[in-house]
Amino acid sequence: MAGHATRRVHVLVLEVPGWGETRMRVEAELARRGWAPAISPADADVLLVCGEPGQELESVCARLWSQLPGPRVRAAVITASDVASTLDRAVDELLDEASQQSDARTRSRRPAEPRDEIAHTEHAAHGSSSESTEPDMDMDMDMDMPKPGGIPLANGGPDRDGLEMDVLHVPLGPVLPHWPAGLVVRCVLQGDVIVSAKAEILPAAQPSGDGLVPDDRRPLADDERRRAVIRRSDAAASVLALAGWSFAAGRARRIRDAVASGTALLDVTADLDKLARSVARSWTLRWTLKGITVGECLAHADDGMGQSGSETVRGRLIGWLEEARRTARDDKAEGAYELQDPLALQRSRLGEIPRLLNGTDIATARLIIAALAIETAPVAQTPQSRT
Amino acid sequence: MNDIVEVNPGWALLAPVVLGLLALAGAALNGILVARAEGRSFRSGAVIPVLETARLMRQRRRTTVAADVLLWRIGCAGLVVTAVLKTAVIPVGPWVLADIPVGVVWFNTMDVFVWALVWLIGWGANSAHALVGGYRFLAQAVSYELPLMFALVTPAVAAHSLRVSDVVAAQQELWFIVWMPIAFVVFCLSVVAFSNWGPFATSASADIAGGILTEVSGVDRLLILAGRYALLTTGAAFAVALFFGGGAGPLLPGWLWTLVKTLLLLAAFVTLRHRLPAVRPERLAEVAWIIVLPAVLLQTLVVSIVVAVRG
Repeated sequence: MAGHATRRVHVLVLEVPGWGETRMRVEAELARRGWAPAISPADADVLLVCGEPGQELESVCARLWSQLPGPRVRAAVITASDVASTLDRAVDELLDEASQQSDARTRSRRPAEPRDEIAHTEHAAHGSSSESTEPDMDMDMDMDMPKPGGIPLANGGPDRDGLEMDVLHVPLGPVLPHWPAGLVVRCVLQGDVIVSAKAEILPAAQPSGDGLVPDDRRPLADDERRRAVIRRSDAAASVLALAGWSFAAGRARRIRDAVASGTALLDVTADLDKLARSVARSWTLRWTLKGITVGECLAHADDGMGQSGSETVRGRLIGWLEEARRTARDDKAEGAYELQDPLALQRSRLGEIPRLLNGTDIATARLIIAALAIETAPVAQTPQSRT
Repeated sequence: MNDIVEVNPGWALLAPVVLGLLALAGAALNGILVARAEGRSFRSGAVIPVLETARLMRQRRRTTVAADVLLWRIGCAGLVVTAVLKTAVIPVGPWVLADIPVGVVWFNTMDVFVWALVWLIGWGANSAHALVGGYRFLAQAVSYELPLMFALVTPAVAAHSLRVSDVVAAQQELWFIVWMPIAFVVFCLSVVAFSNWGPFATSASADIAGGILTEVSGVDRLLILAGRYALLTTGAAFAVALFFGGGAGPLLPGWLWTLVKTLLLLAAFVTLRHRLPAVRPERLAEVAWIIVLPAVLLQTLVVSIVVAVRG
């Protein structure tokens, strides 16, 4: 039974800013083995840290670790070439009954108290610290308000329809499926509507040396084109997955993994064409993404990822696939595949998040953030990251 | 075709087994589709449900701070129970466990339980993401429930009876799918919606870290996932009774025809997941109330007029 139980391991990936390539390699390896990426700590057997987390990410990591149900294994991987061997070791540890039993005996049986506000799944209705509530408007209720589990109850506040509704403080990130590495958006929620948001990036301990195709020295031009295709198909996969279209997201991911593993760019153009066509044609996608925009700021910016100047999430998605197609097919398309967007643009995107998210529901907010495609690593390495 | 007869209640013990096997077949098909999409073998996909079951049986249950454990566990276990209760009125060939006069209503009652159960799963964990998942399901349920009720009523009107065996008997000349296509499509989409599946799985989707599934692990998670497949399966089986003439068909015995039709419909439901993007509840509400509800009402009206004219 234990053997069967560990043939489809669920892995929760904590990506440190700058280790995107390692994360992609992990995803490719999971698909190859028939394992599954975990979508929350409760779903995970293995917590895999990609990269060297800074202090804050380290505490997030400890917190997530306490939320894994067990049998559980914690592993870290720094370079993409170590992914396969690390996952092999993780299975061995999962199967090690003695150590799993001693882990189960020594860990606390009670769920971790919400002492740290940055966590993957924040328990409902607590403010910035579990001890101090914000001044309550309902003074008469405040005196004997029950605190289940030490968490004060939510305060009410007027919602967008002028009714009173409970206010929850919920951080999104830094570990969510299809989410930029290290990004935390602290939201004030009413129901699933975001009333206000603040974004920041939790940095790595040190800048990563995560090369894209480290084991192979290709001419730079080819390398850059590969990176451009990989980045765009990865971003497209995220948006498609968040739109709930797992089939198309899987195709985008496979194209990305094929390019990353050294398949000739010309060989993926047919797949890219097919994907771009079916995405552009899908009327259900058009309907479900209707009217979701990422704002003016990107349309006119000198933007490596959004050259087509599209403002909607769907437009950005189609634009990426279009660019990936062009890049993969034509090596003379100079400048069409800039590797990295200018830092100023990245920062302005980060700064735009509160405005863009205000008044949206979580589903829309997730799509917007995925469509911004923020590269968190370069932003996190600058002192201005705390906006 | 012979009339449908009630069988000895002892056979009720077999119903969950058959339901479980059919649901397992649905899960295996899903696994195969996932594996093929990822470029792995057919076989590695077919065993995914077995591997997942073993994994979840080995995994510990967990709880959260200040969880409403009783209600939470009721929600987790309830989906499977609801699906099993539905099997009581679903005829398999010439046999049915309970041929009650209000069989169609019984099925609908069980659907309504799903509202409460999914909400309890979302509520019980005391977690923001799970709660949002619960909200989403209720918002979706408000959209699908009324069209579903009218889709259920339509065959009953044509058969002059809410008894499922009468509905099947009324299709001896012509299957209801032929002249009630709208009711059939609405019923199928509602089944997919209350099973939290495919384009209607927004209450358990990745953008809210699994929603109602965010905090559940081990056997609780297993029960929810199994419950989803079981609800899909009973929905498919009930559609066979309502629209596809139950066990009617040439050569094969009636019970086998029921199973074959159920499996085909279940396969269609499972495949839908891989073809369509998610339908967000607020978008669904618009379409459900402005287009689908009038359409299915029109269907009921047409059927009623035909029935009245023919006497």
